[in-house]
Amino acid sequence: MMRLNPKMKVREVAGEHIVMRTGGSTADLTTVIAFNESSMLLYERLKDRPFTEEDAVALLREEYEVDEATARQDVEKLVQQLRQHEMLLDA
Amino acid sequence: MPSADLLIGGLRLRLEGGAGVAAALTLPGMNVFADDPGAAPHVTLRLDERLQRPPCRLLHSFDILDGREVCRFGVDTEGVYHYTFGQREVVRFDPKCPDAALLSPLPDPSSMRFALWLAYSMTALGHGRMPVHSSVVACDGRAVMCLGESGTGKSTHTRLWLQHIPSTHLLNDDSPILAVEDDGGVAVYGSPWSGKTDCYRQERLPLAALLRLEQRPSNTIRRLSTLEAFGALQPSCPPAMAHDEPCLDRMVALISQIIQQVPVYRLGCLPDADAAHLSHSTIYGS
Repeated sequence: MMRLNPKMKVREVAGEHIVMRTGGSTADLTTVIAFNESSMLLYERLKDRPFTEEDAVALLREEYEVDEATARQDVEKLVQQLRQHEMLLDA
Repeated sequence: MPSADLLIGGLRLRLEGGAGVAAALTLPGMNVFADDPGAAPHVTLRLDERLQRPPCRLLHSFDILDGREVCRFGVDTEGVYHYTFGQREVVRFDPKCPDAALLSPLPDPSSMRFALWLAYSMTALGHGRMPVHSSVVACDGRAVMCLGESGTGKSTHTRLWLQHIPSTHLLNDDSPILAVEDDGGVAVYGSPWSGKTDCYRQERLPLAALLRLEQRPSNTIRRLSTLEAFGALQPSCPPAMAHDEPCLDRMVALISQIIQQVPVYRLGCLPDADAAHLSHSTIYGS
C-alpha cells in the first residue's frame, strides 16, 4: 500500500498542473513536476487514501477505456516519477 | 510627520515616520526613485522604532550582509509576518492590511536597504510586482532578463550585450522589479536595489525574454517548456515567499501570467561575444 505525500500541492501554471512539495521551513521547490491529465485524475482520486497500483490501474481503465497493459504502463511511469521526487510514501 | 514618496516598479510607496525617512532617502540610489507626494500611494511603509517581534513560527532563515547577520522570517499566531535581523524586528507585514508594512529605522545603510527590499517584496506582490534576482539589459526598447545562481555569469552576459550589441544599456544588475501590469502585459523596472553596479534607473521596459544561464563549454540556446520555465524563474524570486503557502500561491499565479506571455530560454554559454549574439538573435530575430 502506498500514499501520496500529503505535503504536496498542485497549482495551475500557464495551463499545466505543476506539482510542488510544500510546507516547513525547508520547503523544497527544486523538485517540481507536471501532471498530465491522467496523472491529475489519479492524484484527485487517490490523494486522500492509501492505495495500490491495482487501484490506480482500475481507475485509469474506468475513466479512459484503455487496455490493461497501457493503464499499467502509465501507472508504473507515474509511480516512478513520484518516488523519484519523494512524493510517494509507504502507507 | 515626515514623509516621502518613492516610485518603484510603477508603485507609489509612501515612507513615513521620523528621521528615518530622510535617512532612507540618502541610501545609495534611492533619490532616483524619490517623488513629490502627489497621488494616493499604493503602499504605505511606516518607520517605527518600537517594533518587537512576538513569538513566531519560523518559516525560513538565511544569512545576510555577507554572513554577518541571520535574517528570520516567521509568522505569529495572528497570521502577521515578521522579519528579524538577529534579535531585532525589522519588517512587519499583516496580510489583512496588504498595502502597508512597518519597518524599523536601521542605522546601518545596507541593513536599511535590505529591510526596504523585504517590505517591498511583501507589499508589492498583491500589486503584481516582485523583485527578481537578475541582470537586465535593455535593447531596442525592450528588456532581457538574465537569471541564474550567483556567480553563473548573469552580469558577464549582460556586459557582453553592452559591448557587442548596438542600442543597449543596463537597466539593473541585481534586483529589478518584474511587473504584470493592469493590461496584462509584462514589464521590468529599474530599482534602488542594484548595488553591485550602482545602476539606478527610473525606467520601465516591456520584457522581451527571460534567459536562464548556465556555464557550458559551448553556446546553445533552447526555448523552455512551461514546467522548465517555472523552474527557471521561481528560484530567482524572493526566497521567503516559497516558505509560506499564501505567498507561494500569489507568487505562482504571477509566474504563471509571466511565462504565458514571455518566452523563457535556457542559455548554456561561454563568456564570449558569440553567446551574446546567439541570445540576441534568438530573442530579436536575426
